[in-house]
Amino acid sequence: MSEERVSNLPAGSGSEDMIARRPPVEPIPAGAVPVLEAANISKGFGATTALVDVSLKAYSGRILALLGDNGAGKSTLIKILSGVFPPDAGQLLFNGKPVTFANPADARERGIATVFQDLAVCELLSVTRNIVLGREPQKGFGPFKLLDLKKAEDMARSALHGLGVRWERGLDERGANISGGERQSLAIARAMFFGSSALILDEPTSALAVRQAGRVLDHIVRAREQGQAVILITHNFRHALSVADDITVLAQGRVAGQFRRDQVELDELTDLVARVG
Amino acid sequence: MSNGENASAQHSRRVVYGEALRRFMLRPEATSVVAVIVLFIVFSALAPTLFPTRLTYISIMAVAAELGIISIGVTLLMIGGHFDLSVGAVLGLTSYVAVVLMRDFGIHPVPASFIAISVGGLLGLLNGFLVVRFRIHSFVVTLGTMLIWRGVLIALTGGFPMTVAIPQGFKDAMSGPLLGGFRMSMLWFFAVGILATVLLVRTKFGNWVQAIGQNANAARNLGVPVERVTILLFVITSSLAALAGIIQVARFASVDALRGEGMELQAVAVTVIGGTLLSGGYGSVVGTMLGAITFGMIQVGLVLAGAPGHFFRTLTGVIVVGAVILNTTVARRMANSKPLAGFKRGSTDADAAIKAGAEVDIGTSKSSTSASEAPR
Ligand SMILES: Nc1ncnc2c1ncn2[C@@H]1O[C@H](COP(=O)(O)OP(=O)(O)OP(=O)(O)O)[C@@H](O)[C@H]1O
Ligand SMILES: [Mg+2]
Repeated sequence: MSEERVSNLPAGSGSEDMIARRPPVEPIPAGAVPVLEAANISKGFGATTALVDVSLKAYSGRILALLGDNGAGKSTLIKILSGVFPPDAGQLLFNGKPVTFANPADARERGIATVFQDLAVCELLSVTRNIVLGREPQKGFGPFKLLDLKKAEDMARSALHGLGVRWERGLDERGANISGGERQSLAIARAMFFGSSALILDEPTSALAVRQAGRVLDHIVRAREQGQAVILITHNFRHALSVADDITVLAQGRVAGQFRRDQVELDELTDLVARVG
Repeated sequence: MSNGENASAQHSRRVVYGEALRRFMLRPEATSVVAVIVLFIVFSALAPTLFPTRLTYISIMAVAAELGIISIGVTLLMIGGHFDLSVGAVLGLTSYVAVVLMRDFGIHPVPASFIAISVGGLLGLLNGFLVVRFRIHSFVVTLGTMLIWRGVLIALTGGFPMTVAIPQGFKDAMSGPLLGGFRMSMLWFFAVGILATVLLVRTKFGNWVQAIGQNANAARNLGVPVERVTILLFVITSSLAALAGIIQVARFASVDALRGEGMELQAVAVTVIGGTLLSGGYGSVVGTMLGAITFGMIQVGLVLAGAPGHFFRTLTGVIVVGAVILNTTVARRMANSKPLAGFKRGSTDADAAIKAGAEVDIGTSKSSTSASEAPR
């Protein structure tokens, strides 16, 4: 953990050095099959075109950073990858095989866990019930299954513990009473705990203090070590350059560039994202 | 640790009870408990010889049971974020089905009841399907089906009451006398209430219902089958309406074109008195049961107090509005109020202290352990 640790890397002072010192990225092995692949995806909402012919591949044991300006289509793309809605055109592939996700449950069943930008926290449910929502542990037989509340609490505790957050609030605190950063921690802990093949995070560190953001990056790195395919959306290019293996830049719904992390400079990325048209 | 010991000594019995009261007032059932107590005192004062008697309690429970069973379904549905205005019409139509099956087809009441409840389930399925498939607000969908089924019922009965001979055994099982003179319907009411409570707070389905009522998108994104749960909720609601209808058929041995009319709004009133949020996501079946008892008390109490019949609506209205005010403003103020004497909000040690408070004296080791972590 010590070598891969990036949590002491604050956004700002000296982080460029850290980026520069990172070892070169290993190339994608020949013949590797992406865990999750989007092939020529297009999507529109009425008159708005959100995505045009977008392709990307997320490999096991690699982190793909998805960068782009506000409204570039990043969230739309990962919602398609998570089964929230289907693409208008194009194909999704899971482990090399074409799939269609009828709903988010389909994607979750395949071990794809997503932290959505709007976090999906239920205001009046307890922290525990929020964390296990959709994956509630049960006890009993046949149609007489009850919630296993004790196990749910253990799961919630270990999910939060796994993320390394010091949870000051009780686990029975309601969603409405926790802070924005705590909500983000909750959503990330939930995804980390339940995701097994792919982990998708839409701006997971936007509300977090530097220390917590570093923790999250640590965990993203750990998820990669466990062989998950990670897709990380962020507006923080330093974060992207410090943990990602591959980088895809979206601009106005199209792929503006795809790089290996060691083949691109911070300035280039900034230009690419800022460039309009 | 010595700090903690000191602090625990501050949790005098009064403070512990105060905190317990504060917490009770935060519960959704609080309003209905208060309503039941206040009404009991008021009616007992108005009709001291008539109201606080067993006969009165029996009448109250008879009213509360039928309305309560229907309201429990409406409550679950409202927690899931939907309304059902068709429950009264569904009750009427399924009662008609039961009566016709027994009278014209000579079917035994038990299978006839099962069929009638299944028909209720199908009507609920239709409501749910329309809401989910066409994404129309349930208020509008069920307003429509309410008018449709009521119209159908009027057409089928020709507006005349239909009577049916009910075998005594079945009558007894549904609404006959129980221990101490109470009606069997009370047993059904309690059974449904217990099952619905377990369903809501102790099952996965219940967790999903609450989550959908609060944030349907979030629930869907986390893999909750929102559509399926919603449809099932409508099925449960209409089936319970049919069950209440069967109890009424057994009691009256008849059905008429207006059976169940107005119960849809009474059920909403009962649910609101019971502390369920009109906006969904949060509520209590026990609160609704107490709300139904409140209704029964008003209905029976006013008669015993010699008040004119129209008082019923007025008083009910006052209580509904009062309940909403209590549930929103007061509850909000309570929620924002500081926990007493350093209890940490939401901390389990405070709960432990409250539980222990009843039997433990101040300063003993037991109370100090339970509260030692409270102040920070
Ligand atoms: N549900 C929707 N209905 C209509 N338009 C939508 C919807 N979701 C996204 N859009 C539009 O699609 C485009 C891409 O939006 P998207 O949320 O994918 O951007 P983003 O890259 O995630 O931006 P941000 O960095 O601000 O989160 C925007 O123009 C947006 O207005
Ligand atoms: Mg976005």
